[in-house]
Amino acid sequence: MEAASQILRRLSISRSGLMGLVIVSIFFLMALGVWVGLLGQNWSAANGERWAVPNATWWFGTNQLGQDIFERAVFSVQTAFEIGIVVSVLSTALGATLGAVAGWRSNTWIDGTVVWLAGVLDSIPFYLFVAAVAYALQGVPWAMHVAMIATFWTATGRLVRAEVMKIKTREFVLSARAIGLPGFRILLRHVLPNTMHILLIQTSITFVAAIKTEVILSFLGLGVQDGVSWGLMLAESTQEVLAGHFNNFLAASVMLFMLLMGFNLLSDALQDTFDPKQAAL
Amino acid sequence: MPWVLSKLVHGGLLVLGVTLISFSLMVWFGPDQTYTLIGKNATEAQIAEVREQLGYDQSFVKRYGRYLSDLFTLNLGSSNSSGESVSRILQRTIPVTLALMLPGFILGNVLGIALALLATWKKDQWTDRLITGMSVTGMSISFLVVIIFLQVLLCTPYGLNLFPVRGWQVTGLVSYFHYVTVPTLSLVFITLGYNTRFYRAIFVEEAGKDHIRTVKAYGASTMAILWRHVLKNSLVPIITRFMFTIPLVVISGSLLIESYFGIPGIGKVTFDAITSGDQPVLKAVVGLTAIAFILIQVLTDFIYRLIDPRIV
Repeated sequence: MEAASQILRRLSISRSGLMGLVIVSIFFLMALGVWVGLLGQNWSAANGERWAVPNATWWFGTNQLGQDIFERAVFSVQTAFEIGIVVSVLSTALGATLGAVAGWRSNTWIDGTVVWLAGVLDSIPFYLFVAAVAYALQGVPWAMHVAMIATFWTATGRLVRAEVMKIKTREFVLSARAIGLPGFRILLRHVLPNTMHILLIQTSITFVAAIKTEVILSFLGLGVQDGVSWGLMLAESTQEVLAGHFNNFLAASVMLFMLLMGFNLLSDALQDTFDPKQAAL
Repeated sequence: MPWVLSKLVHGGLLVLGVTLISFSLMVWFGPDQTYTLIGKNATEAQIAEVREQLGYDQSFVKRYGRYLSDLFTLNLGSSNSSGESVSRILQRTIPVTLALMLPGFILGNVLGIALALLATWKKDQWTDRLITGMSVTGMSISFLVVIIFLQVLLCTPYGLNLFPVRGWQVTGLVSYFHYVTVPTLSLVFITLGYNTRFYRAIFVEEAGKDHIRTVKAYGASTMAILWRHVLKNSLVPIITRFMFTIPLVVISGSLLIESYFGIPGIGKVTFDAITSGDQPVLKAVVGLTAIAFILIQVLTDFIYRLIDPRIV
């Protein structure tokens, strides 16, 4: 908790970082609202007229099927957070584990295997990899998540590996070894906590990547299978805009932009705070 | 010489891994192809025959070996849906994709380098802040949103209505520009933010080094410093970026752009193969692009050596 308040204090130094945090928090509250059943519950009801213009009943108008665009856009906040949180947390955790073990046992076959695996996964163009995973896991609703986690961990893995290799030569690790602590415990209790800043920044970066990827995959038909997301709304809108109906497109793209901008500002501020040398990379 | 050898071994191991993954995902664990290949009411014997042709009765190692040798001898089979041979399809579509994607890819990098140099020159002044702010904004806009927006703006009566909405009827230079402009603008727009930010970070770091301070002390002009020292010394990361993003931008980008604009390139073919489950096409595209990517990596290592002999 103290660490959290410290992060907040340091973030508040940068105005744009604070703005990012506020934007992300507002969206997070909306996602919670959907999750507990207060917001966006009528996203699938098709009870309006087709392509209604925004008015008092339909705040953002309706789509081709007469569904309420506002409800759909709001419900999609939850979809975005669900994908973002699952993918960013799991891929960062996977990257941290593999990277830490590889760095701790550097120049052994374990390290070689992890580095090789990361190289292999980075060599397959991402959307093709997702296509292949979706093809292999036909009908499995988590195919998209699995594909993203399986590829997004490599960046975190490389960073953590390099950091662990640096940390393990430091005095406090050497002395922990000298007093005979088991290696696994040193790694877990003394080395990994020192890579926290990398993990925090990477979680934020992969969150953005996951949401952006969902949009493309949903458009390609490989993404969200049931429910609604900004990606699906944009995919619907590709037909509507040619007929001059822009409400679906505007609602989804503006909300998507705001959330991504919030997260990008937050990531930058985190980077500036914890890793000033790498900042702006 | 051992350096060359170790690079080749490294590349070979990567190829092995990539093909192993694509084989496992698409062939070994992939959907059973038997019933897509034979008609209704097949007899037991026909089914058994097709299964034998597909190699379903053989071991993992044997089938993987066959997959590898097929890939390396370019014996790629033919498409399940059109019957056209896969190598013909590749020959037909790859030139279209390159003609479609390369202008945007190159322009996105050149503009990114130019803006990054400008930002480095005016570091911490409003020009720099504007460029940095714009690139974060650009990074927050989805590819799909950019494409839809530019299409409405440039290709429909709701906007300027200057270019065709979709398609690729290229017969000469004029029609080429007619069809390539909107996809190129989309690609530049979407890569510019990332490129500018990446190059700026590299140039700023280079500009902070001691030898630059020395050159400054000798009274060289800012332009000369940026051009002769900062840019030249940043060649290695620039080339890395360029080489490593080619396959990602060209393949992943074409998947979206071509299926959106209905352009008959490799991306559209891949997209159709994904939606119809056309295994021979998918196998070839995934396997070959991954191998091409690894070749590029090995090639990049050789180029480094040429530019900077210190690199081992």
